[in-house]
Amino acid sequence: MAATSWSRAVKPRKWALSGSKTAVACLFIVATLFPLVWMGLSGFKAKNEVTRTPFRFLPEVWLWENYLQVLQDPAFVRAMAFTLLASTLFALGSLVVNSMAAYVFARLEFPFKRAIWAVVISTMFIPSMTILLTSFLVVNELRMVNTIWVLVLPGMASASQIFFIRQFYLGIPTAIEEAALIDGAGPFRVFAHVFVPMSKGIFVVSGMTMFLAMWNSYVWPVLTITESDLTVIQQFLALFRGARSTEYGLLMAGSTLALIPVLIIFFAFQRQIVQGARLSGFK
Amino acid sequence: MYTRQRQRPRARAGVNRRQGTLACLMLLPAVTGLSVFVLWPLARSIYLSFYQWNFYTDNVFVGWKNFADVLGDPKFAASVIRGLLFTAMVVPLQLLIAFAFASVARSVGPRMAGALKMTIYIPTVVSTVIASLIFVVIYQFSGGVANWLVGLAGAEPQAWLGDAAWALRAMTVPTIWIGLGLTSLIMLAGMLDVPESYYDSARLDGAGWIRQQIYITLPLMKNVFLYLLITGFTVTIQQFEIPLVMTSGGPADSTLLPNLLIFRHFRYDDNVGFSVAAAILLFAVIGSISALVFRLLRSEKATDA
Repeated sequence: MAATSWSRAVKPRKWALSGSKTAVACLFIVATLFPLVWMGLSGFKAKNEVTRTPFRFLPEVWLWENYLQVLQDPAFVRAMAFTLLASTLFALGSLVVNSMAAYVFARLEFPFKRAIWAVVISTMFIPSMTILLTSFLVVNELRMVNTIWVLVLPGMASASQIFFIRQFYLGIPTAIEEAALIDGAGPFRVFAHVFVPMSKGIFVVSGMTMFLAMWNSYVWPVLTITESDLTVIQQFLALFRGARSTEYGLLMAGSTLALIPVLIIFFAFQRQIVQGARLSGFK
Repeated sequence: MYTRQRQRPRARAGVNRRQGTLACLMLLPAVTGLSVFVLWPLARSIYLSFYQWNFYTDNVFVGWKNFADVLGDPKFAASVIRGLLFTAMVVPLQLLIAFAFASVARSVGPRMAGALKMTIYIPTVVSTVIASLIFVVIYQFSGGVANWLVGLAGAEPQAWLGDAAWALRAMTVPTIWIGLGLTSLIMLAGMLDVPESYYDSARLDGAGWIRQQIYITLPLMKNVFLYLLITGFTVTIQQFEIPLVMTSGGPADSTLLPNLLIFRHFRYDDNVGFSVAAAILLFAVIGSISALVFRLLRSEKATDA
């Protein structure tokens, strides 16, 4: 008797508690996504509707004009294609460069290994601003300014990515490669035929991180790309805002379109990216 | 037996030498990249900070003059203070929201937790340019979403980005929004490491949610907080893309964060030495404050134990 009244008293409270937790969780989701959803919807709104005073979340009439106009702008399409190319080259190149280095530091022995490792790791702690200006001087002297290489080459070798991939390689038991070594395979073949096939997950995370870093970069292109044919997408958006500052619908449509490749990548690999973010961030 | 022992070291040395060559070859691209695009510019920065230099004339050695100029520049000092203020607004709030997020994600069902984790991470992949543009429109004086929300609360509309008193505060929102994903996921990972049984026994003893957090979660997650505090600080004080896109440092320099000041100097000032010296000094400020925070929190922990 006492037991039943106790459980009866507790149950509604428990229900209310889990209900409020779900409500808070939903609030989190709505607040986080609001700016993005609002951006996408604003792209469908007429010129003056984005900032009309009685606030309306949904467009009064769904207009495709903004999106079509942006898509028909050759400068926009060129910027998207160029940034896609640069980001892809950057990500693929970084995977080759950084995974080889990671393997060397994880498995091979050579003179001055610890000293070189220390130097590589120390580059992670250099704030970008201390080398931003002189990096510009360097690429200027190498005649890389206003070419795709100024985007692709600097930053391709990345200490944090080497560190991240090396952590994964250190976790692979040596027993796995011993069979290959006994069969007479050299370390490079072990890397190419044993390590690389096992690195799919880690390559996805590292490659996507680098791809997104390039896709989203703005300051470096502003310094090094001045030719309008080679404008990257973030530059395009910032310039667009400067040139047509009041056409919010158009601006939001362009921003939405520039975000779509990122979102596609994010949703395709979200589990790995979210997991990898946690791993690379802490532990 | 005898021969085997004699042969082994020689064979090993051969393997090692071969391995050494291969290691060099495989390291070459990464080491070259880091040398040319990180170490060499760093060396140049340190070198140039002692020179009066621009694109058109020869270097003139000026000793510590650039550093003295930077330290004597009231604008630089003001921007550093502004940066610290900005950090003080952003980081605690970000940690608080991340903590709330992690607490919620920990206690809801696995499907809801998955949705939460995915959602909170989405702003992280949005570029600072796009985030800035969205918030520029949100902060419009007439018809902006921010003023609509403020109006619902019955307050006066503000010219958020046009008003020197509000612009920097307004910028904390996109900054927090973009940085929240990583902070929250790390916070959640730390929280999940705290054994559930601790909370169970606390509950049996009649401790409520708040006391559980104060006596169990916070002490056990000290290292996570320390890590997030320092990384949050170093990332936020270096932020300059958001003010660059949203206001270019205005109005009346109210959003001129230290890195933006340096960036501006580099683009519009002849003497590169000044910008480089300022960047190095800022690095020193960041490094010493991080070290100090680390020390303080660590020593506190030491006295606990």
